[in-house]
Amino acid sequence: MIVIKDELNSLPIKTYRWLNVNHLKLDERIEKDRKPFCKRFFEEMDDDNISIGSINNIVTINQHLSRINNEKQEYGVSGKMVDMAENFNNAGVYAYIKKGADIEKPIRIEYGMDRENDVVIDNNIIVASENSRATIVVDYCTLDDIDAFHNGAMKIYAKPGAAVTVIKIQRMNDNSNHFDSNIAVVEDGAEVNFIQVEFGSKRAVTNYISNLKDGGKSAIYSIYIGNRDRELDLSYYMNHIGRRSISNIEVKGALKDRAKKVFKGTIDFKLGSSKSEGREGESVIIFDKTVKSKAVPLLLCTEDDVKGEHAASSGKIDEDKLFYIMSRGFSKEEAMKLIVEASFNPVIDRIPLEDLRDIVRDELARKLIVEERI
Amino acid sequence: MIRSMVMENKFLLIRDLHVKVGDKEILRGLNLDINRGEVHVIMGPNGAGKSTLANVLMGNPKYEITKGEIVYEGKVLNDMKVDERAKLGIFMSFQYPEEIPGITVENFLRSAKMAIEDKPIKVMEFKKVLKEKMKLLEMKEEYAQRYLNEGFSGGEKKKSEILQLLILNPKLAILDETDSGLDVDAVKIVAKGVKEHKSEENSIIIITHHNNLLEYLNPDYVHFLVDGRIVKSGDISLIDIVEKEGFESFKN
Ligand SMILES: Nc1ncnc2c1ncn2[C@@H]1O[C@H](COP(=O)(O)OP(=O)(O)O)[C@@H](O)[C@H]1O
Ligand SMILES: [Mg+2]
Repeated sequence: MIVIKDELNSLPIKTYRWLNVNHLKLDERIEKDRKPFCKRFFEEMDDDNISIGSINNIVTINQHLSRINNEKQEYGVSGKMVDMAENFNNAGVYAYIKKGADIEKPIRIEYGMDRENDVVIDNNIIVASENSRATIVVDYCTLDDIDAFHNGAMKIYAKPGAAVTVIKIQRMNDNSNHFDSNIAVVEDGAEVNFIQVEFGSKRAVTNYISNLKDGGKSAIYSIYIGNRDRELDLSYYMNHIGRRSISNIEVKGALKDRAKKVFKGTIDFKLGSSKSEGREGESVIIFDKTVKSKAVPLLLCTEDDVKGEHAASSGKIDEDKLFYIMSRGFSKEEAMKLIVEASFNPVIDRIPLEDLRDIVRDELARKLIVEERI
Repeated sequence: MIRSMVMENKFLLIRDLHVKVGDKEILRGLNLDINRGEVHVIMGPNGAGKSTLANVLMGNPKYEITKGEIVYEGKVLNDMKVDERAKLGIFMSFQYPEEIPGITVENFLRSAKMAIEDKPIKVMEFKKVLKEKMKLLEMKEEYAQRYLNEGFSGGEKKKSEILQLLILNPKLAILDETDSGLDVDAVKIVAKGVKEHKSEENSIIIITHHNNLLEYLNPDYVHFLVDGRIVKSGDISLIDIVEKEGFESFKN
């Protein structure tokens, strides 16, 4: 039995208590039976430059384990949740990409939760060797009308010069819970980009950390929709360790009905991260006055010779744009959906699979227009 | 009884229209009648209320009608939503068109056409029509895939407005200074587009400062809008008055 009563997504430093953002406190117990996930969830790759397997296949992992930098660092939505994902999982993928390999075809992982398989606890490890390049697409969705549960962890090791793009799409139904913890080790001159589409679940809690070594680069492009009574808690942390490292956090969202969202974005310039640059920006389009939207951008500097900035966030929809679009025959809801779609499109276009791009756009329309009428 | 019969026959009827923006009254008792298939020109000094009239006909919520009535095909428009007006065949070419990054010209216009006609339109079928209209307006084909108005020059934005006019084919088109800031060749192309749209079914209101556009279009009526009212109406010969004297003699 899984029972969660926890403080999640704690801030690296506690801000004033009255802001009520230091962590998300679960206001209900989530109880779920632990059971196996008996579905295929990844595609085999017909490529000698990559080995991919289920996380439980110890042999494959041991083969490469010596190459993994086993840095002990706390990460994720909470210690307990990460412990569950790392040690008591029922799914997960281990992928190893050989030196210099350029894997064109995205590695596709898909957790389609259904009545028999409504619990996914996944532990994923991606190792990209020196100067290799790969893209991983993970899709979490519900196929039946169920109360699904997902708690996952992903570790990404990008060796010097490697480039990894991880795309995570979460479109589980409104009865489900989603917890997702990610950490990337971005070694010298490596690059890890994280694209997140957070459209579903009653409660979606995600956490992402990038550890940036010399010349490491990392970006997060995140889009989210909160509607009805859904809750989102998004935490992103760019940890600049090395010199000349670069980070970028770009979050765009739309909130309607009574949805709640907390965004925490931290850029941390550690001592020795001179000449590094980090920027973050969040913009959210607010449909209804009844939503709650909080943003906590943090800039931590132990190093002087760095450049950090956060862009101001905008809330209200541009009335002139709305009038222009409506004058072409679109209802207010359709016009607002169009403005959201327009703002999300540059991120959606980064999804390298057309079927998933279409699914995401349909889901956007469904969340912002169709569900309106229910 | 008699009044309502007259109103039903008229295409557009504006009666004693008073409009406020913020605390300021901009239209102050404006009257105007337009029949099906007519081309009307509205001229007037800066700040007279020409764009205000266009916006209030389209239903911009920033503008508040405090008195008077707009009757279109027998329906009172005063409180009607913007998109409902568009669906009834009203269109405004904006003096300052908005940029909509993230949505291509083609997708925007196909969706708009489907919204207005309330039926699906096949992608291929639409592509063909769009290509034709773009050719007429001497727009490069690749503009169909550009984000709507984003990074368009002033002239390109105005062409994009006329492209939208041609695709949506409204019964009442209001062109707010569509010819302003365009060079002679661009004005010719815009005029060609408007002429293509002109028909016995379609009425057009042209707001302009220049008579360049008018040379090509043969308007039926010319009106002077000064200080929020129509102060003079007549045929195309009125333009000569503006050319010679401006609007000074109409101000109080
Ligand atoms: N949104 C607005 N807020 C405040 N004043 C406005 C607004 N729009 C127009 N006005 C004012 O209303 C008057 C008429 O403007 P407008 O209708 O744009 O004139 P025209 O198009 O004839 O040049 C001007 O004095 C202008 O400053
Ligand atoms: Mg004007």
